[in-house]
Amino acid sequence: MQTFEFEGRTTEEAIEQASRELNIPAEELEIDILEPGSAGIFGLVGGKKAKIKVTTEAQITPHEETETIEANHAESEPVETDSPDETELAFAKEVLENILSRIPVETTVHSQRVNGNIALNIRGDKSGLLIGRKGKTLDALQYIVNKIANKASEKKVRVVVDSEDYRKRQEESLVEMARDMGEKAKKTQKPVATDLLNPHERRIVHLALKPDEALNTKSKGDGLLKKVLIIPKK
Amino acid sequence: MKDLISYIAKSLVDKPEEVVVTEIEGEQTSVIELKVAKEDLGKVIGKQGRTARAMRTILGAASTKLKKRSVLEIIE
Repeated sequence: MQTFEFEGRTTEEAIEQASRELNIPAEELEIDILEPGSAGIFGLVGGKKAKIKVTTEAQITPHEETETIEANHAESEPVETDSPDETELAFAKEVLENILSRIPVETTVHSQRVNGNIALNIRGDKSGLLIGRKGKTLDALQYIVNKIANKASEKKVRVVVDSEDYRKRQEESLVEMARDMGEKAKKTQKPVATDLLNPHERRIVHLALKPDEALNTKSKGDGLLKKVLIIPKK
Repeated sequence: MKDLISYIAKSLVDKPEEVVVTEIEGEQTSVIELKVAKEDLGKVIGKQGRTARAMRTILGAASTKLKKRSVLEIIE
């Protein structure tokens, strides 16, 4: 016997999805409704997803729809990565050093493993050239190094590039901003939206407000950059 | 600058031997032309041009350092 959880805009939709993904007709599924879901105000803000639990006797081989599931989880949970080994660590460091030496800048790169990720820290860029406006250059470097490192490696490695603790400082100010907005949302009892944020920044906002029982957070928008809605619970 | 783009492009593609980078220097602006194997075009452009954009950003930083302007052109 196995249990699965599914989400949808309505309970019907969630059931339909369950039956499709598990390849079992809906009539044969044992369904518990965890959250009935609601449309929210004009179906725009405050809508809650319906959540169901499905129990079945049959042996299940779920459909290959893991990609969409992972994509949804990517924001709220860390991406599953295998811990990088010495070779991958050294390779990522070498790639970044090779790029930096061709810019050219006189910097040193320190590498270490942090939570199963490769963390590369650039020291010596006093002008902030490698950070760029709003961390744009740092993001570009990180993106390219990730691409190259993952091309060379069989398993998925995640590389985080930082310079002069920029990301750490950024994270602290984001958390502070999220808390301020959360307070505002609670005071006014109205949803508050952040600026357009990238997935990593959204994740920080979601996690910062997760412990707050009085608030819900939700991403809104299309594309890479989305806003985070901070919604007070009624 | 040519070297920078050449290194990144060669690391991204499957056929590094087919990467050709040429730099056309103007008075104020340099044009860096990047040519790769047809099959590798997607690798240097990326999803919604993300890889190309990242390369342009890094090139921008390098140009700032040299107090110059440069643009990256990907040639089909």
